[in-house]
Amino acid sequence: MKLILTLAWRNLWRKKRRTLISVSSVLFAVILAISLMSLIEGTREQMIESLISNTTGHLQVQDALYHDEPSMDHSLEYGEEVKRALEKYSGRIEYTVPRIQGFCLASKEMGSRGVYTMGIVPEKEEKMNGLVSRLTEGEMFSDDDNFAVIAEGVASLLELSVGDTIVLIGQGFQGVTAAGKYRVGGIVEFPLPEQNNTMVFLPLKEAQWFFAAPDRLSSLLLMTENENTAAETALKLMNELDEEWYAVKTWEELMPDAVAALEARDAQVKIFAWVLYIVAGFGIFGTIITMIHERLREFGILLSIGLKRAQLSVICMLETIFMSFLGVIGGIAIGYPLMLWFNKNPIQLKDDLADVMLDMGFEPVMPFSVAPDIFIYQGITIFIISLVIGLYPARKVFRLDMVSAARK
Amino acid sequence: MKTVIKTTDLSKVYTETAVPVHALKNVNIEFKEGEFTAIVGPSGSGKTTFLNVIGGLDKPTGGHVVIDGVDIATMKESKLFDFRMRHIGFVFQAYNLIPVLTAIENVSFIMLLQNRPKAEMENRAKEMLEQVGLSDKLDVRPSKLSGGQQQRVAVARALASKPDFVLADEPTANLDTESAFNLLDIMAKLNKEENITLIFSTHDHRVIERARRVITLVDGAVASDEHFERAER
Repeated sequence: MKLILTLAWRNLWRKKRRTLISVSSVLFAVILAISLMSLIEGTREQMIESLISNTTGHLQVQDALYHDEPSMDHSLEYGEEVKRALEKYSGRIEYTVPRIQGFCLASKEMGSRGVYTMGIVPEKEEKMNGLVSRLTEGEMFSDDDNFAVIAEGVASLLELSVGDTIVLIGQGFQGVTAAGKYRVGGIVEFPLPEQNNTMVFLPLKEAQWFFAAPDRLSSLLLMTENENTAAETALKLMNELDEEWYAVKTWEELMPDAVAALEARDAQVKIFAWVLYIVAGFGIFGTIITMIHERLREFGILLSIGLKRAQLSVICMLETIFMSFLGVIGGIAIGYPLMLWFNKNPIQLKDDLADVMLDMGFEPVMPFSVAPDIFIYQGITIFIISLVIGLYPARKVFRLDMVSAARK
Repeated sequence: MKTVIKTTDLSKVYTETAVPVHALKNVNIEFKEGEFTAIVGPSGSGKTTFLNVIGGLDKPTGGHVVIDGVDIATMKESKLFDFRMRHIGFVFQAYNLIPVLTAIENVSFIMLLQNRPKAEMENRAKEMLEQVGLSDKLDVRPSKLSGGQQQRVAVARALASKPDFVLADEPTANLDTESAFNLLDIMAKLNKEENITLIFSTHDHRVIERARRVITLVDGAVASDEHFERAER
């Protein structure tokens, strides 16, 4: 075996340029695969992060019945049991965002429109989704204020300006009619029309009073370190809470349509990835074929003087393994710092493309992910492809006519 | 003397061409232990085919090749590889050393495949390189050796594992006169000292003049088979 290893290793360096070409074909395939997957995964992470921060948070603590029937009667009693559970796992939770919300009719003089009235704590919303920075007019309320901030679409549809009055009518806790008249103190603009045309914000305490639900929340949003730890944290919290009264929902449970869309996208990415692998595979295959045909005579001689076909096949396989390994390691060594640089300095989108991204609620950049599994998975995949291609020389050796090969 | 190789009605027909080529036609030859034989004949007479067939590199289309009591014409390829490695040494026109191995590693190569003990292998390889006058080139790779030196390493490799016989296909064709004589001296000396049977295919009169037996092939058939007494050089 030592002889075979020696022959394989030394053969690599006998014709350095030939080896360099083969290693380069693997190396570029790895860099290409890493770059594309890093961009695709980066975009995926950005989409998820954007969805989470703009809508549901990573987790939500709710009343057990709220998810199936989101009414004020199924609002959450934010009492000692919930606080104790959150305290126990405070290390897993970065911060909480309390919200109370309900469907209302918003009116101004002759016009009316259905809106979502949401009671919020502005500092927490700002931290989660940058709500305060979306202000286009007026000011954001503080916890003790009692004016409203409305979305730009609502203001436009009801012809409201800062300083005007909006009347809200809805249903409060346990059948109480929720009704209130609020000064419009500020206007915020959202990129997504469904938010921009429906949202009315009140200070949390004011909204709890409005819905006649003091100390109650529709849901308590939890932001964890990242989306990967959310499911585990949800399980741990549920172990501390009575499931007859409480539920902890992950962002995936709260947004099944978005998860389905992401899964469809992942399936498309897989097809795209396989097209990439096939293209990269043919590139590697081309260099291997050239290399083998250059060496047929040498193979014939080795077989003539006593090397067995199986031994020569192993030598060829080992050469492919060595070259693939060098290519994969080199590809990762170059690819990782490259992706890290793009991760820190994402490519900025401009003009119409940037507008499209902004309209969809995303930052106008091409984000690159540096998740370790991208590098490991792509490296292993290209390595396996190279090994499969490495079977070609092995097969060629088994079918070689050594007399005619040695004469070449 | 012991018979090393015996061919009976040996024939080889190449059918890949439009008209079948009869490269060997009913060749019946016996080689005895320690013989120094030159196979001669014009180009296309079947010299190389004959060597390939008796060396187990190519299969005959008819007849038998019996070596050490075994008919290799009917032997399975997997067994033939092992048989060839243990019984036959090869020297090629183009030296055909393994470029990534040093001189001593090239000479040891077949013994390595035979799993000989390391010490025995090293001693034998050194001894053979010393015999061919290359004891100062043990760790040199073929690319750093002259053509004559490379062919001497090839001879050392062929003889190191003590095969029953050595087949040499035009071994002097690429060598200058001095190198050719030098190589022939070495091979004649080893033939005598190690009693190894040497079979050359050649056009080279320098080889023919040293051979004690000259077989002439014409159109794949034996035209003459002559024995000579040669004075020691």
